[in-house]
Amino acid sequence: MFMKLLNLIIILFFPFVMIGIIRKTKAFWGGRKGASIFQPLYDFIKLMKKDFVISKTTSAVFRITPIISISSVLFAALFVPLSDGRALINIPAGLIVFAYILGLGKFFSLIGAMDTGSSFEGMGASREASFTSIVEPAFFIIIASIMAMSGNYTFDSLSKIISNSGDYGILIIIFTVISLFLMILIEGCRVPVDDPATHLELTMIHEVMILDNSAADLALISWGAGIKMLLISSLIAAVIIPHNIGTGYYALGYTLTILAISLLIGTVESATARIRMSHVFEFIFIMSSFALVVLSLVVAKMFGG
Amino acid sequence: MLLLGSITMLVPATKVLISSQPIIKTFNFNPVFGAVNFVIDPLSAFFIAVITIMSITSVIYAKGYLKPYIEKNKKIGAHMIFMIALIFSMIAVVTCQNALMFLICWEIMSLSSFFLVIFENEKKDVLKAGIKYLVFMHISVLFIIIAFALCAIKSGSLDFSSFSLILKSNQKLANIVFILAFIGFGTKAGFVPFHNWLPDAHPAAPSHVSAVMSGVMIKTGIYGILRMLVLIGLPSKTAGFIVLSLSVLSALYGVLYAITQHDLKRLLAYHSIENIGIIGIGIGTGMLGMAYGNKLVAVLGFAGGILHILNHSIFKELLFLSAGSVYTKAHTRNVELLGGLIKKMPYTAVLFLIGSVAICGLPPFNGFISEFLVYFGMMKGLSIHSFFAFIALIFAIAGLALVGTMAILCFTKAFSIIFLGLPRSEHAQNVSSDTDLSMTLPMCFLALLTLVIGLFPQYVFKLLLKPVSVFIEPTVIAAQPVSILQTISIVSFAFIAFICILAAIKFLSGKKIEMHKTWGCGFNRPNNHMQYTASSYASPFLSMLKPLFKKVFDIEKPRKLFPDGAHFSLHIEDIEEAYLLKPLLKFDEWFLTKFEKLQNGNLQTYIKYGLLFLVLIIAGSLFI
Repeated sequence: MFMKLLNLIIILFFPFVMIGIIRKTKAFWGGRKGASIFQPLYDFIKLMKKDFVISKTTSAVFRITPIISISSVLFAALFVPLSDGRALINIPAGLIVFAYILGLGKFFSLIGAMDTGSSFEGMGASREASFTSIVEPAFFIIIASIMAMSGNYTFDSLSKIISNSGDYGILIIIFTVISLFLMILIEGCRVPVDDPATHLELTMIHEVMILDNSAADLALISWGAGIKMLLISSLIAAVIIPHNIGTGYYALGYTLTILAISLLIGTVESATARIRMSHVFEFIFIMSSFALVVLSLVVAKMFGG
Repeated sequence: MLLLGSITMLVPATKVLISSQPIIKTFNFNPVFGAVNFVIDPLSAFFIAVITIMSITSVIYAKGYLKPYIEKNKKIGAHMIFMIALIFSMIAVVTCQNALMFLICWEIMSLSSFFLVIFENEKKDVLKAGIKYLVFMHISVLFIIIAFALCAIKSGSLDFSSFSLILKSNQKLANIVFILAFIGFGTKAGFVPFHNWLPDAHPAAPSHVSAVMSGVMIKTGIYGILRMLVLIGLPSKTAGFIVLSLSVLSALYGVLYAITQHDLKRLLAYHSIENIGIIGIGIGTGMLGMAYGNKLVAVLGFAGGILHILNHSIFKELLFLSAGSVYTKAHTRNVELLGGLIKKMPYTAVLFLIGSVAICGLPPFNGFISEFLVYFGMMKGLSIHSFFAFIALIFAIAGLALVGTMAILCFTKAFSIIFLGLPRSEHAQNVSSDTDLSMTLPMCFLALLTLVIGLFPQYVFKLLLKPVSVFIEPTVIAAQPVSILQTISIVSFAFIAFICILAAIKFLSGKKIEMHKTWGCGFNRPNNHMQYTASSYASPFLSMLKPLFKKVFDIEKPRKLFPDGAHFSLHIEDIEEAYLLKPLLKFDEWFLTKFEKLQNGNLQTYIKYGLLFLVLIIAGSLFI
């Protein structure tokens, strides 16, 4: 029960802290002092109190969108192992439910953006839709092939399966982590795919989709984006933390992993430049190729004797 | 009359589905046919249920849809007769157990649907599409005839049960017959590369006909494939791999071309190819499961595939009907000319949205359930421990994931360009009101069905096990999927409740809402021409896959001081049509014109031909 409560707190606060840490890291590398790591949380609270400003072009779709997108990430979180290494709803093939519930949120965030009739938001939606469509197959290949080694398709057996796979285990861990990390950069809209801090609408992807959202809508959407990053990071944690080290240590390891990932994202954001929009596909294909490496390792393990 | 007939057909179908005892009726025709068995086993019963429910809704819808045509003094009597013939022949096809009778019903079905397609036969395009459809159907029936003839020669009878005996004992014959039948039935179903008629015929037909054709009629092709599988018994691994890989190809091809389309009904037609692909993936997985002796994989694959047949007919019919409503009001199918219709046609918009979410396979609607079953079957299949099965299935999983996300891209495009934003032309501006109740009600019923199947998947799955039992006995192994589906059902309910609560909080919170213009980057007069269009929405994705299309540009650049003739249009042609069918037709034309001289209009020459022919026949018969 305590762990469930802890997971709830993690879902509520970690997304903000993650973004706070990323910003702090960027400030550190940029030689600035930077805002407190709780600043995103303060922003959230402030936004929740504000009144709405809504475009005259929009319809009910626009207003329901933030609600559906936040519900979808929250429900997707039920299927992911968090600080105790167990998903709240632990069914086989939870991967599919996870991905498709997130898909519903994405569907609505895309039509919500298109509802404003703005060409900028259309641009963002079109980019986001195109980029996601290539990420998803790679993600399925990674997770499904790892799970195939045990034949039990639940998320929380990830680290167990890998630790049972002998010499291949460490290689599988390395490549899975790399490719999931790239997935955070793509799905979380971080540099080098997208720059959440940019001020030019033409170069945005995710930010441009929510130009017309305000107040609580905006707050929910940015919280949702944070949760999504946290969920993929949790998958990384589920891959690298050994499953049999005890609950307390697991929770500690989980927190450290999330912290490390946030620091890493901040560092990557400071060290690399945005890639050109037309080259983003190539960047995503890097992730796909790592996914294929994982697949080939699993094949080697299963059929190579 | 038709309603009554359909409902009477539903009664035995439900009886069989509940009791899973087949009903057999034997009719004695003349000596050519022999005894003709009409059998309603659980598989036929499932198809009858699909056919009747979908036909009833679309016929009710047709009443409202055809009103403008009746006002223009168009005769619809013949049209309705062909509709009845189509529905009757479809039911006959799925129950008939005699090869010759089956072919006759099959032909009635193809012909009556041809006449339905050419309803607006004063338009040249419609006629052309209709004839293309007719040609494709007759090429396909040729393969079916060959397959049946092979069986009939070996078994000496036209009855399916005697086919079954022969096919079960002769593996090699079974493979050949299955592949022939797959080509024949696959053409009807729209598997790539036999799909070319489909994207032309569906847009040409009136909406309620496209709904029946796409929702139900192409499924008779799937029925044919499934029936052949029942006759064969244990499929070979090769057949399983062929079905699986062609299905993945169809699914990807269908959705890819759907993204390129601007014609709403053409877009939906390409999505039919995609969904037939998904059904095929389910069936292929089931076949592999059977071939490798893994019962759970087989049950999940077949259950997913069969459920997707039902699901696809529900949401595809819903989408076609709402597309029809848009067409009746806006008089155009080109999505680039629409926009902002959600304010004028709110019901149609919501119904189209439900259909779109369902067809993308997103929870909590029905598409998700069948895709989940197919995915789960494939994942279970990964642990069969066969290298080829592993590779095929993991790429099928990735393919299905890609199809899902591309479908999201396609339907966010379709929905938002048609219904959201501002009107893009007078077509959309002149829309005055939503459609009549007679058109909206059947659609509401279909939308309700999508939600019910999505919310109570465990009961649907239990019901599904009956048609699946025709292929393989689902014993205790069905317990695990049922419990998973139960969890999904609870999560779906919780999800909907959560959304409702949040929405209630939001709208009761009493926050002030200030209406303002859309943010235009500081530009204060955004207008409808500055919106994103369907082409631009799809462009980043399509630019990545350039080699897979043939782009036909039509550009007139602005030249003079008053550039009035300037325009730009982009048409994307089907790669198969552009590089395979057209050259083939050209060759055919070239080759056949060589024989033009034979037909010179001279009576004496024709008599000479007749004489030559007689001599040849006599000479031939002497030697044989």
